[in-house]
Amino acid sequence: MTAGRRGRAAGPLLLLALVVVTLAPFAELFVTALHPPGTYPRGLTWPEDPHWSNFATAFRSARVDRLLVSSGLVVLCAVPATLALAVPAGYALGHLRFPGHRVVFGLFALGLVLPLEAVVTPLYHQVRDLGLLNTRCGLVTALVAVHLPFAVFWMRAHFAGASRELSDGARLDGAGPWQLFRRVHLPLARPAASSLAVLLCAWTWNHFLLAIVLVDDPEQRTAAGVLGAFQGRWGTDVPLLCAGTLLILAPVLPAFALLHRRVSADVVRAALTKD
Amino acid sequence: MAHSGRFGAAVALLLASLLAGCSAPGVDRPQRAGAPGSPGSEPDCGTGPVVLRARFEAGFPLARALADEFTRHHPNVTWDVREEQFAVLTRNAPRLLVDDPPDLVRLPQVADLVGDGLLRDLDGYAAWFGWDDWPPAQLRTMRAGPGGRPRGEGPLYAMGFSTSVTGVFYNKDLAARIGFREPATLAEFDEALARAAEAGITPLAGFNAGATGGLVFPLQALMAAHGSPAAINDWVFQRPGATIDTPANAEAARHLQRWLRAGYFDADLNATDYARMVDRFASGQALFMLDGDWESATLDRRMPGRVGFFLVPPLRAGDPRAAMSGPPTFGIPAGSAHPDCAAAFLNWAVTDRAARETTVRVGGSLPLGPADAHLPPVEPGSVTAATLAAAAEVVAGGTGMDFVANATGAALAESWTPRLQELAAGERAPEDLLRLVQDDYVEQIGG
Amino acid sequence: MSRLVGWLFVLPALSVYAVFVLRPLALTVQYSLYRWDGIGPSTWVGWDNYLAVLTEPDLVGAIGHALVLVVIFTGVPLCLGLPAAAVLRRATGGRAVRAVLLLPQAVPLVAAGFAWSLLLSSTGAVNRLLAAVGLDGVTRAWLGDSSTALAAVGVIGAWALLGLCTTLLLVGVDRIDPALHEAARLDGAGPWQEFRAVTLPGVRRELGVCATVTTTAALASFDVVYVTTQGGPGNATAVPGLEVFSLAFAQREVGLASALAVVLVVLVLAVVAPVLRWSR
Repeated sequence: MTAGRRGRAAGPLLLLALVVVTLAPFAELFVTALHPPGTYPRGLTWPEDPHWSNFATAFRSARVDRLLVSSGLVVLCAVPATLALAVPAGYALGHLRFPGHRVVFGLFALGLVLPLEAVVTPLYHQVRDLGLLNTRCGLVTALVAVHLPFAVFWMRAHFAGASRELSDGARLDGAGPWQLFRRVHLPLARPAASSLAVLLCAWTWNHFLLAIVLVDDPEQRTAAGVLGAFQGRWGTDVPLLCAGTLLILAPVLPAFALLHRRVSADVVRAALTKD
Repeated sequence: MAHSGRFGAAVALLLASLLAGCSAPGVDRPQRAGAPGSPGSEPDCGTGPVVLRARFEAGFPLARALADEFTRHHPNVTWDVREEQFAVLTRNAPRLLVDDPPDLVRLPQVADLVGDGLLRDLDGYAAWFGWDDWPPAQLRTMRAGPGGRPRGEGPLYAMGFSTSVTGVFYNKDLAARIGFREPATLAEFDEALARAAEAGITPLAGFNAGATGGLVFPLQALMAAHGSPAAINDWVFQRPGATIDTPANAEAARHLQRWLRAGYFDADLNATDYARMVDRFASGQALFMLDGDWESATLDRRMPGRVGFFLVPPLRAGDPRAAMSGPPTFGIPAGSAHPDCAAAFLNWAVTDRAARETTVRVGGSLPLGPADAHLPPVEPGSVTAATLAAAAEVVAGGTGMDFVANATGAALAESWTPRLQELAAGERAPEDLLRLVQDDYVEQIGG
Repeated sequence: MSRLVGWLFVLPALSVYAVFVLRPLALTVQYSLYRWDGIGPSTWVGWDNYLAVLTEPDLVGAIGHALVLVVIFTGVPLCLGLPAAAVLRRATGGRAVRAVLLLPQAVPLVAAGFAWSLLLSSTGAVNRLLAAVGLDGVTRAWLGDSSTALAAVGVIGAWALLGLCTTLLLVGVDRIDPALHEAARLDGAGPWQEFRAVTLPGVRRELGVCATVTTTAALASFDVVYVTTQGGPGNATAVPGLEVFSLAFAQREVGLASALAVVLVVLVLAVVAPVLRWSR
């Protein structure tokens, strides 16, 4: 397909450039985190005296362990709840196709392209009126609702391909609707659901806007929401900020590395499956 | 799928119209003005364990130092302190005071919050502790009339620890290189700036990034020199009919523009934040820095004996020098759980000897209080000594102004900052800057 | 009856969604018709807020900036992603490269914004690189210069979305029947004509999905601007997402914020609908 030697060299060069640009911010965070606190190092210069202790300082003074636990709790509550709601919904919309399913799906589809800012203000007042402001519970509920459109879309895409023969056979064997779902289709949905879970974990961990609007206390937010508070804690102590940021990123990156291949294949498949 | 999408949108719109028929949002919240009248007995923290929740400003260690010192004297009181950036504090203040009020919160200005009944009236405490006996100018900026306007008179709604003063810090080593003496007039200062630029030294360290437009410091200093500090105060205090768009202020803005065009600031002014500016000055990369005495302690630590300070000089030699001056203010929310203890802390912070020494040592500024209160000694030749003397001069002369950033809750982030960033980028004429800020101001005070 | 059982399955999700997303959406429309500070009583103002959104220069400017971001967030990942996908199809070690390219999707945008603000500062790595290749005159504080700030924000967003687009396009490119390429080449088509005649139509659907994601991200962008420029310098990087947040929570103009939010929704639908239709 590519013609000529110049063409052939351009390809890998492009990839190399893209990889370098992709990794540059991570390198910057890491290198800057090693500089003495309170300094403003020039870009990407390795310090003469690497302060590995910055990570420990950031960990202790920002109580990063508590922040990671908090973010973990948010994820552990939000993701299973979203799955518990979205999997049956996707099943109903994709496989059962009850009367009116198009309308319901249309409502969820609206949520797919809805900018979050369109709902953030009334959502804030609503959560406040429910007395859930500044609680992890309120944040979890909001995050579940906000991620439902994509989750439902995803599971629907999976269930749309579920076999009708299987359902018919099971019904002939006398299975009721709930058993049909639980015994027959649910186990088959596990790969799609687990990929969805990974995506939801990442999105919840990285969610920022709702975290800073609904929760004031950084120790009750998501990891991304915490970063906003880091700037408050250290003013602009850049090396410590970098160290703190890397500590917050640390859990996500290895998880991502392990699971990306499975997830990216499923992302693509779901994104491209319509109706 | 397109059909169901449209259908979904239609349903949503139907919901919207249904809800539009419902009652209007918002409730008439009864004004909670706090505890009026004098407390029956000395407000204190009792003997049981008390946790005081507080919001302080990040990067300004004085409040926290005082809090820790207070715990040393009153071991039953512990603190739950959260520090935030100034811009975030300002933005979150209304929400915070309604939803989850702490016991003590650093507030840039009180007018809007008083108007919504969110702050506790401190007149009772003032009468009990005797704050009323101090020189009235000290507490003026913290008073507000009914509904929050005008400021400068009426019940007391906030307290502070010290009177800060702003002026010009200068690097003595760099100053010697250009043969600099402290200027008596604004023209001499201009001349010094020009000499520094010729010698290849960055004349002015500045900050103007993000949501905190630092050029508001030099601008206000110039406005006071060219015009009248009293007129500026009227505007900040929301007196009816006050305006910032005056010929004298326009002259000051043009003066600032001349400084910008001459390249007296660093080229990346709009990307430099406050901490970076201080770092640049303290590392000897600029000759002058227009800042406040809250940095005196830091500068004495980083550049001992090598920093000087002077108030921005007037147009004509011998005229009184004006300065932005006033306490960084702290309020007690109406919904506070331990208001008496918080008030006792505020009183302790300005009367106790150890507290006053902390204020000078850590905050570098003149503690509030009666004129004959204990003034901790400072090392002669330190910049703290210079700023304390300057603060005393401003207080005695009555030429202190509140910061124009405090005119309204949104004045700094929404008006001053973007317009000043545009001025620095050469995209806004000085006269337009003042006109737009005035327009915003009128809209923000609900005019 | 058994046909209606599906409603039971979907009801929990639909309820949560209706209460916490659809109802707030309807409320936003309602709030947009009032002037309200979020705390006290509100006053009816009818269409005034919408008039302000469409005439006040700051707000109109914000919408304009969002459209510029759409171009950058979409154009850069697509223009770089498509050739990258084409190369990755046959490259060895492609899997590792694909993983690396997807890495930005795993990190919070605020962290990315912070890291990029360091790279783009006046003493940052980008300027050092430019100076090293002799382009000293071009160096500046990219996020602090009003002529480049918006583009700089665009670069950060493009960085975050590039891997996603590449991955999506890779599937499309993979799916094109090699015979089509052969046929084009036999007909004497040059590489560009081959690209236009065979590759582009083949990845239409993936392009559509990519463009939808990037467009929505651009129009709703908040995180990056919040952590890097806060809308400045001046109003150079003011975007509707940030303006809604600032108006609603800092300036306590809930009505105006809601009107802007509604306009934003309409804008998103108006831009995304044609893209989706084209990609079919």
